[in-house]
Amino acid sequence: MMSVGISGYSAYVPRLRIKKEDYAKAWGSFQAAGVAEKSVMGFDEDVLTAAAKVSRKALESVPLPPGNVTRFAFASTTAPYLEKLLSGTVLVNVGMPNGAFASDHTTSTRAGTEAFISAFEHVKATQGGVAVVAAADAPRASMWDPLEHPMGAGAAGFVLSSDNLIAEVEGYSSYVMEHFGERFRPTGGDLLQDLSVKKFFATAFMTCTTKACGALVKKLGAKPEEYAHVVIQQPDAKTPGSVAGKMLFNDAQMASGLVSTNLGDLGAASTPVGLAAALDSAKVGDRIMVVSYGSGAGSDAISLKVVSDRKPVPGFKEQLEKKEYIDYIQYVKLKGALK
Amino acid sequence: MAHVSVPMYWRTIPQRYKMVGQKCKKCGAVNFPPKGVCKHCNASSDFEELQLSGNGKVHTFVLIGAGGAPPEFAEQMKAGGSYPVAIVELAEGPKVIGQMTDVNPKDVKFGMSVKAELKKIYTEEGVIRYGFKFAPDAEGK
Repeated sequence: MMSVGISGYSAYVPRLRIKKEDYAKAWGSFQAAGVAEKSVMGFDEDVLTAAAKVSRKALESVPLPPGNVTRFAFASTTAPYLEKLLSGTVLVNVGMPNGAFASDHTTSTRAGTEAFISAFEHVKATQGGVAVVAAADAPRASMWDPLEHPMGAGAAGFVLSSDNLIAEVEGYSSYVMEHFGERFRPTGGDLLQDLSVKKFFATAFMTCTTKACGALVKKLGAKPEEYAHVVIQQPDAKTPGSVAGKMLFNDAQMASGLVSTNLGDLGAASTPVGLAAALDSAKVGDRIMVVSYGSGAGSDAISLKVVSDRKPVPGFKEQLEKKEYIDYIQYVKLKGALK
Repeated sequence: MAHVSVPMYWRTIPQRYKMVGQKCKKCGAVNFPPKGVCKHCNASSDFEELQLSGNGKVHTFVLIGAGGAPPEFAEQMKAGGSYPVAIVELAEGPKVIGQMTDVNPKDVKFGMSVKAELKKIYTEEGVIRYGFKFAPDAEGK
């Protein structure tokens, strides 16, 4: 069977950052475990401009002309419109064909892997198919809510095809259940809510991630220790570690893809940006496990095998180093929290 | 406010989102933004579409400070502080005006390489107006 995988990728980290100390000054504490600082979008950015940037860069990294794209999948929980096609803005800017099948994935932080898997299925079923996946997010909650503390901003884009592979997709598994009370936005509301019962979240997160990952490892006949890189959804920098042990993964395996320490919670772009960071440091032969989570609730696990040393420029680390700090007041203004 | 109606904006999406310019079939000069009559030979309205690269160099720039921003950019200035507006000489020749983005205003220099990127320009009639701004291009020559 023909191999399908990642032929090009790109991550985008906005230049602006805020440190945890600035939150502590404003609120007395910073409630985002393990997060030292986080990224913030500029006034003229949103998830669509970020998605456009990573889509273009991912195609350039192959390189592949946008006219060859047959499928575009966009993911974010922070859409600038509740109703209006989002992917079209990106498709037109990048120059992907109007006839490419485009889809928007928006209702949970699992959206990134949801988009990735739907694009993967398209390429598998389409002779010569080329898919672009763009996950971009900058989640929002009330500034009064500790839920807001970890929320950062970032994006990652991937080109999936059967040519010129950097990493082959070995397979995926999902686990979806009915669950509520954590991280939800009722119709008509602009801000995320959470009933703040830690147990609600912990139970669903544990169940979905371990079941999706367990099923995949079993399906592939793989062993957890065979994975050089493990990327688990990062609502903060500690939560992925709370479930990794259950899947028999350790901290060393998670090091390359733990992006929340410097960027915060990237929502639907959390595992995509983590995957881009892991790919940047991966060697040929390395296996990568990606496990997303979205409230409500569900997880996808994706297994990849690295087959080429080709890396995009600039790399993820270079982007991490290019930064400018803002204070909490500037942050509140940029987040549009002052009405 | 410099009002641009939704239909007018919509009609200019190719130039605003993708930097599609035009090449004069008579004199060969590149026009951007597109014109009714070639601004170089003033003699032809016969063009072919040309996809511009978005690459260019800062020809000159100015910083828009407090009170200097037009109404549609007033909120941007209040939230993000003063912002640079540049005249950029595009690789294909035309000089265009546009905001600089993703840069500390202190770091803008004459002659610096820039690349056009899709950004939010402003919001009017509930519609986010996307278009290009110029970001520093480290890889640019």
